Amino acid sequence: MATSSSGAVAAQATPSYLPLALIDKCIGSKIWIIMKGDKELVGTLRGFDDFVNMVLDDVTEYTFTSEGKQTTQLDSILLNGNNITMLVPGGQPPEE
Amino acid sequence: MSGSTAKRNPSDFLKQVLGRPVVVKLNNGTDYRGTLACLDGYMNIAMEQTEEYVDGKLKAKYGDAFLRGNNVLYICAQKTVKK
Amino acid sequence: MDTSQVEVPLDLIRLSLDEKVYVKCKGDRELTGKLHAFDQHLNMVLEAVEETVKTTYVDETDGEERVKRTKRTMEMLFVRGDSVILVSPPVRTHQS
Repeated sequence: MATSSSGAVAAQATPSYLPLALIDKCIGSKIWIIMKGDKELVGTLRGFDDFVNMVLDDVTEYTFTSEGKQTTQLDSILLNGNNITMLVPGGQPPEE
Repeated sequence: MSGSTAKRNPSDFLKQVLGRPVVVKLNNGTDYRGTLACLDGYMNIAMEQTEEYVDGKLKAKYGDAFLRGNNVLYICAQKTVKK
Repeated sequence: MDTSQVEVPLDLIRLSLDEKVYVKCKGDRELTGKLHAFDQHLNMVLEAVEETVKTTYVDETDGEERVKRTKRTMEMLFVRGDSVILVSPPVRTHQS
């Protein structure tokens, strides 16, 4: 129904899906989270809220320091959404 | 919470871990281990029998501690039974 | 302290009114003093305050990094909430 010219307007008003709908699809699978600063996490996404605070299981936390990469294993966490910059579905771990 | 695959939102997680031993990591890298007494929507946290770890080393103990939410990176719950 | 009355984290601070508290601030600053007033931002008024500032320096004799503690006292002090990391009633608090 929408013509190509009005398509952009229609998309603005009702986007086909919201960014958070993509994250909702990741629930139950691995996700790679890139934080502000030198930190990344990989874990199984269990849920999230409007602030993108996230519940994650079986998490590996990577901290990049001047001495190299430091990893920490965590069972189950609530991650503060405040410092998240990027989310990558699938969650390939940071390169070796 | 039925299965481990059930959807678990932040508020479900917090209900689960209230009164349980947790590790709270701050943005500056400091870890606080103790019992989660309560918390609010800002992620302000009240903890009991808190131990402060800097670079993995125990630096201080607090009977009660209030942590301001803006500094919180994550709250970690330890599984009661591993695997 | 009877923590059964603590339902939200700020109750812990409320119960510390007119008591001596320990405050850990950003920038390696620590304060102890009597808590006069506070608000929801954790802005605080402290009385009879001792401030300890930790600074690191390189010892010229052996090139080792050392921590220097500088203390000073203030009769009355306002602390802006955004610099606060941790607040604890110093009863049962012991530091190594």
